[in-house]
Amino acid sequence: MIRTENLTKVYRMGDAEVYALHDVNLDIQEGEFIAIIGPSGSGKSTLLNMIGCLDTPTSGAVFIDGIDTGKLSENKLAEIRREKIGFIFQQFNLVHTLNALENVALPMFFAGVKRETRLKRAEELLANVGLGDRIYHKPSEMSGGQQQRVAIARALSNDPEVVIGDEPTGNVDTETGNTIIDILEGLNKEGRTVVVVTHDAEIAARVGRTKRMRDGRVLD
Amino acid sequence: MRDKLLMAYRSIRERRTRSILTVLGIAVGIAAIVSLMSVGYGMEEAITGELTGMADMISVMPGKITGHAYVELGSFTDRDVNDLQRIGGIKDITAMTYDAAEVEYRNKRAPIFVLGGDTKELGGFYVEPVGIKEGRWLRENDFKGCVIGDRVANDFFDEVIHVNDKLIINDEKFIVVGIFEKASTLYASDVDPHIFLTLHASKEALQNDEIKYIMVRVYNIDKAEEIAEEIVERINDNHGLDDFAFAMTMGSAIEMMGDVFKIIRGVLVGIAAIALVVASIGIMNTMLMSVMERTHEIGVMKAIGAKSRDVLTLFLLESSMVSLVGGVVGCVLGVVAAKVISLVAGTAIGIEFSAVVKPEVLLGGMAVAMVVGVLSGFYPARKASRMSPVEAVRYE
Repeated sequence: MIRTENLTKVYRMGDAEVYALHDVNLDIQEGEFIAIIGPSGSGKSTLLNMIGCLDTPTSGAVFIDGIDTGKLSENKLAEIRREKIGFIFQQFNLVHTLNALENVALPMFFAGVKRETRLKRAEELLANVGLGDRIYHKPSEMSGGQQQRVAIARALSNDPEVVIGDEPTGNVDTETGNTIIDILEGLNKEGRTVVVVTHDAEIAARVGRTKRMRDGRVLD
Repeated sequence: MRDKLLMAYRSIRERRTRSILTVLGIAVGIAAIVSLMSVGYGMEEAITGELTGMADMISVMPGKITGHAYVELGSFTDRDVNDLQRIGGIKDITAMTYDAAEVEYRNKRAPIFVLGGDTKELGGFYVEPVGIKEGRWLRENDFKGCVIGDRVANDFFDEVIHVNDKLIINDEKFIVVGIFEKASTLYASDVDPHIFLTLHASKEALQNDEIKYIMVRVYNIDKAEEIAEEIVERINDNHGLDDFAFAMTMGSAIEMMGDVFKIIRGVLVGIAAIALVVASIGIMNTMLMSVMERTHEIGVMKAIGAKSRDVLTLFLLESSMVSLVGGVVGCVLGVVAAKVISLVAGTAIGIEFSAVVKPEVLLGGMAVAMVVGVLSGFYPARKASRMSPVEAVRYE
């Protein structure tokens, strides 16, 4: 499903070159639930951004469904982000001027889905994450856990094959964290590929496979 | 598209304070341009319009202007007037006598200038352009009637004078038969502070019938200068002097004021240009700020699958809407400001005029708002839409 080949990302800090990713080779199978763990600065999030087509590598390649994403145009990449991947951020990253329903419907808006259809689906998705009674709330009127559930519903709005979570439980309490892991597990059971970066031992213990990273390299 | 418009509208409404400030930023700039231009046009039109209306007139005085002062050298004779009638191209001539008199109204006295002349001729020169507010104009047999200017009626005595009130002019009793409207700028000094009498009455009251002022109207404005020269020549011949008579055409009056107009227009254009630059920078600044502060939001949109073009379209729609509203508000504010400025400035400098709002100024204002607004929204929006999603999401 997702494969990286000698994936390298170098940042320039003045005269020094910092390797955020160093020749990372990773193979993620369809339907897998994988956690990437490691200390801060080990390159986990950078790897996730590459897989999620949010960032471009310095060298090496990311293949999604066998397609080399480095060869795709801006618009094609946007399309992949929209159709194939659902991204969940640590900071939720909801659009704070829009209510829960509109936030969830936003990816469908960009996909050109009709208004009635997308609002109906957004409502269903919110009900699925237990927020059926909060659909008209703004992000500022919701707790961190509720916002993260809205973000998950948004990630699912175009029914993606892959769900990517960057520390999805990092900014919520333990109980909410558990709920979020439950939801992610459910998504995986539906057949979606789930990739998360986490510090959370709970998640790490519940996923099928963990990969440890350090200094921009995947260990093992 | 309807969806995108709605979305843009939502986004504007959600940031109410920011949007209002942006609209105001644009509006103030546009208002500055619109009001200055309208005031400028108003002044120009008020003065040139009036001068053009009087362009066929030549004032002839027995004296000369030295420096800024007029020195009276004597008076005209009937022969002068008769000679003028023989000059070709002259439509009307009115000869007036003119002197200061002591005027009493309800036991209060004031020195006031009295003008006497042929009622038909005088009427032709003053009644039509100025208008009578109360009562009527003089008739040939109004030996004891007078018509007064606006300032005589309202300012010179403690009490306001009305039609049928009695005035005592140099011990002769007169009845006010008419009161002039307040005269516009160029007639103000001729009409407002004066009392008008028939020729017969002025001889009685002023104890003299010397001709102190001749007004001439010509058929062809282009010939006015030529005729004025001929008038001066004839009268000088009659009196055997080189510079006895002084004749001023409206054309030369316009020329005399021309430099002042040039300065006023230059200053107004200059200020409008500065206002335009300031407005443009203000609009750019507010647009830049409002897009920059949303870089994060743009990043989020891109991360969940928006194309650069989607983002750009949304932001351009937003800035167009804001610019449009700003432009409209600016035009309205500008028109209101122009009216207020012309009123206040008109009172302050003593020239009554009203702002002239030209449609092309309003359209120009709208165009500036739209072009500057959309362009200055376009630049940061394009920049933000081209950022990598990760970079934009990290932007705080």
